[in-house]
Amino acid sequence: MSDTPPVKSVIPEFRAAQRWNIVWVVPIVAVLIGGWLIYQNLASRGPVAQVSFETADGIAAGKTEVRCRSVRVGRVKELELSEDLNSVWVSIQMDPHTAALLCKGTRFWVVRPRVSGTDISGLGTLLTGAYIELEPGTGPQGTLEFRGLETPPPTNSNVPGRRLVLTADEAGSLVVGSPIFALGVEVGRIESRELNAEGRQVRYRAFIQEKFGPLVRSNTRFWNTSGVDISAGATGIKVRTPSFQAMFAGGASFGIPDGLEPGKPAPDGMVFKLYPDEEGARSSLYNATFKLLLLFDQSVRGLTKGATVEFRGIPMGRVTNISFDYLPLGKDSRIPVLVEIDPSLLRHSLQERVEGQDSKILSEAVAKGLRAALKSENLLMGTLFVDLDYYPEAVAAELTQIGEYPAVPTVSSGLALLETKLTAILDKIQALPMDDAMDKIAKAAEEAATTVAAARGTLDEINATAASARKMLDDPAFRGIPTDLRATLDALQKTVSSIGPDGTIQGDLLRTLDELRGSLRSIKSLSTTLDEKPNSLLFGRESSGNPVPRAPRGKQ
Amino acid sequence: MTPHLPRAIDQGLANCHVCGKVSPVVLRHCPRCGSALHLRKPASMQRTVALLIAAGALYLPANLLPVMTLSELGDVMASTILQGMAEFWRRQAYPIAIVIFVASIMIPLIKIVALVWLCAAASGKVHSSPRILGRIYGFTELLGRWSMVDIFVVSILVALCQFGAYMTVTPGPGALAFAGVVVLTMFAAMSFDPRLLWDRLESLKAPDPTPPPPDRE
Repeated sequence: MSDTPPVKSVIPEFRAAQRWNIVWVVPIVAVLIGGWLIYQNLASRGPVAQVSFETADGIAAGKTEVRCRSVRVGRVKELELSEDLNSVWVSIQMDPHTAALLCKGTRFWVVRPRVSGTDISGLGTLLTGAYIELEPGTGPQGTLEFRGLETPPPTNSNVPGRRLVLTADEAGSLVVGSPIFALGVEVGRIESRELNAEGRQVRYRAFIQEKFGPLVRSNTRFWNTSGVDISAGATGIKVRTPSFQAMFAGGASFGIPDGLEPGKPAPDGMVFKLYPDEEGARSSLYNATFKLLLLFDQSVRGLTKGATVEFRGIPMGRVTNISFDYLPLGKDSRIPVLVEIDPSLLRHSLQERVEGQDSKILSEAVAKGLRAALKSENLLMGTLFVDLDYYPEAVAAELTQIGEYPAVPTVSSGLALLETKLTAILDKIQALPMDDAMDKIAKAAEEAATTVAAARGTLDEINATAASARKMLDDPAFRGIPTDLRATLDALQKTVSSIGPDGTIQGDLLRTLDELRGSLRSIKSLSTTLDEKPNSLLFGRESSGNPVPRAPRGKQ
Repeated sequence: MTPHLPRAIDQGLANCHVCGKVSPVVLRHCPRCGSALHLRKPASMQRTVALLIAAGALYLPANLLPVMTLSELGDVMASTILQGMAEFWRRQAYPIAIVIFVASIMIPLIKIVALVWLCAAASGKVHSSPRILGRIYGFTELLGRWSMVDIFVVSILVALCQFGAYMTVTPGPGALAFAGVVVLTMFAAMSFDPRLLWDRLESLKAPDPTPPPPDRE
């Protein structure tokens, strides 16, 4: 308490303490570190995108990741129902530097585990849960609201390649993801499959890799290669199997039928028919894309769906449908038959070159006499096919439009004509009065029968007569008749010989005749006298001035 | 109160920080152990304030950034202290949630606030009764080592949960900041010389006696 010097000695220590202390580095560093941490955290947050989905199945707030080509680019921040309760808004916290991914056209879809015959994908999502896949668009940046896709889209539209449409009558075993082969090498995939309820077709979207794109030509045929093909023939049983993968997951192949030009490279979006098997595809030389309506004024019995349409024997299409639906009600009773043909073959059929639309070519062809006719394909089975041909002598007609299809006029075919003629003949035969005639014949027969019966009676009588005649002949009195007759004949011969020239009767007769002749002469002269001088009977005869020459007197 | 007794500082006596021997400060070094002699902890207020500012600066990232990242079968989940607490609360583990809240959020904050209050009191900005100040100081000393619960949990989880792709726990940047906050508040509490409080009180209470101790630390 009494010591002052120690107090003085304190002062330098305090002075030293008042100087700037090194400890201030600590808060500066702390502020720097803390600020940097916060800045980094804030900066590491990208934009927030809003995506609407129909359902949030498999999406969890704070967990579900958003990936672009399997690289994480964001995370679902929160989920909420939309105001109309019809969809779900998914808020996605994008990672930093991903603003470029959010453009107009960016697509989002949920990836869930998928196990199919062709591949197993998204297996990771079995453990991690679904994730949202993002496919950046190409439009301008800055969009933050999107509509999510419910099904994964086809191959990323940025991937270069050929995108085609295949139509089939039946889905078969072809599924999304099924491979497409060319010459047995996988070159593409089926991207989507949808049922076209209106056209009763299955439509596939197919993707062909860029480098194999030129293999697809306008004349390329696609066919289904799924399953095992077993065919038995004279050479034995043949079993053809596609690749193991295609056997289970289905697959499609394409190629160009032998003897057909490849044609032009197929553009994107071209529609091809998917044939059920290779044989069908190889044998089809046409690519039917043009639909026509044919109205037949005759029975189409025997004409089936799928029946061929030929042009002078070359198949160029097929019958797609036979239905009255194509005609307005009550106007026409002809049978509408819808066919599809390959217009390029029609183009070849024209003698001269006509450029332009298929319908124009068709109308030109019709003007030249193109007509459709039903012809018999198989007489035994009664199957029919449609034959297109030129009938220059046909009644002039032109292409008409019925509903949405052009209608090509038809003619009755040869067989049908024959049939109608035969029918007419049969009709005539039927019209003959057969019953009448038969009646008459029956009557005649009846009469004949009675006649025969009568004749039999007559014969009996004759028999009886003969019997009685025999009895009479057997009579001894009758036996005496020949001797009597002979006696009579003898007497007769005597008489005749007496009449003969040597007979006495003849001499008498001659004398009598002479006398008769003299008498007649005198009667004649008397009649002459009387003629000349009728009064001579009273006054006698007087000779006249002119002597009348008299015929010399005969012997008298 | 006890009758006014002379203070060591008034007589130039300093308590050795290391061995506790009381020696005249003019000796500069403890005659027994040779360590430097100071009447008060040198630059105590400066250090405390600087460390408190540093702790406050790290308090924000400690609570905003994830302290732990749990990747479970590819599902990565990072959580901050508050999120973890909210998760426990949501699962109705209220006691655990409360413990986490108190140990990880309340205590660092209370410590910082208490030290700021003590500093303010020591510099004469705030006037409080010595009893309260004493309690506050004792409280900060007491709390010091209990704030590390979170860091403890995280370090144990990180050490234990290393199962590759199945489950892995990694510390997050928040853990670093949180550890920084705890350590800095502990240092701040250590560097604060409570005698400064009483120096201030002494000077207020007895303005007449011999030379008043410097206002500054």
